Amino acid sequence: MPTQRQLRERLETLATILYRYGATFPVPELERYASGTLRFSFIAELPGSDTPQPATIRLAEIWEPVLATDASDYRRAEYAYDFVDHPRNRRRAFHGHDPDYFAHEFAVLVHEHCEETLGSPDCSHYFGLPVDAFEAIDAFTALWVLGGSLGCADLRCM
Amino acid sequence: MQEKQFLSPADVARELSVSTATVLRLIHAGQLPAIRVSERIYRIPRASFEMFSAGTLPQPGDLATIKDVAGPVPGLSADEILPRRKLAAGSRR
Repeated sequence: MPTQRQLRERLETLATILYRYGATFPVPELERYASGTLRFSFIAELPGSDTPQPATIRLAEIWEPVLATDASDYRRAEYAYDFVDHPRNRRRAFHGHDPDYFAHEFAVLVHEHCEETLGSPDCSHYFGLPVDAFEAIDAFTALWVLGGSLGCADLRCM
Repeated sequence: MQEKQFLSPADVARELSVSTATVLRLIHAGQLPAIRVSERIYRIPRASFEMFSAGTLPQPGDLATIKDVAGPVPGLSADEILPRRKLAAGSRR
């Protein structure tokens, strides 16, 4: 499990990957709360067509300290990774938030979103597997390069 | 004619007057950013190629900061309407 310093470096690595693809966004901040919780959330605009808006990747995570000390390791408590392909009018996302709710309702901690047409999903939430931010960037940028179907029909609706 | 947004390793090889194998080595070494779209196919965003050519690819260092924040931790659901479990016909909650 990472330390606070490692999480700042990890956030920097994520930002660097996106900057090197030509994405634009303010330098992201790792927010530190009085409870010890760490959080970040930022939206990167990808280069290319900006009609009607640029394609975006949002990366957001919440990390909770394992111990109540400054030197604690952290565990990821929530995540939300979103790719909104405005030029192609579609969306793909990997989410792990509201864990108590999803555990109670569906016996899962994570879910996915998939919209072949932005704003008109065939299903509001799909079952999925946990992913990390690096896997999400790889998946989203591959979709950014490739046109065609997102493959929503292959996913299992909740 | 509109410029291609994504370049193949062969496109980059032509631009740099090197072999495609050299471009693939740059990709595998992490020196040239590339997106892996399938097991053996890479595409290089034009913006990445232009930064690489100009020697201006961003490097880690001050690309993330820590900020102390007061108040509760905002959740990540972003106003998402949470789904309800579908109940079998005749069942009650």
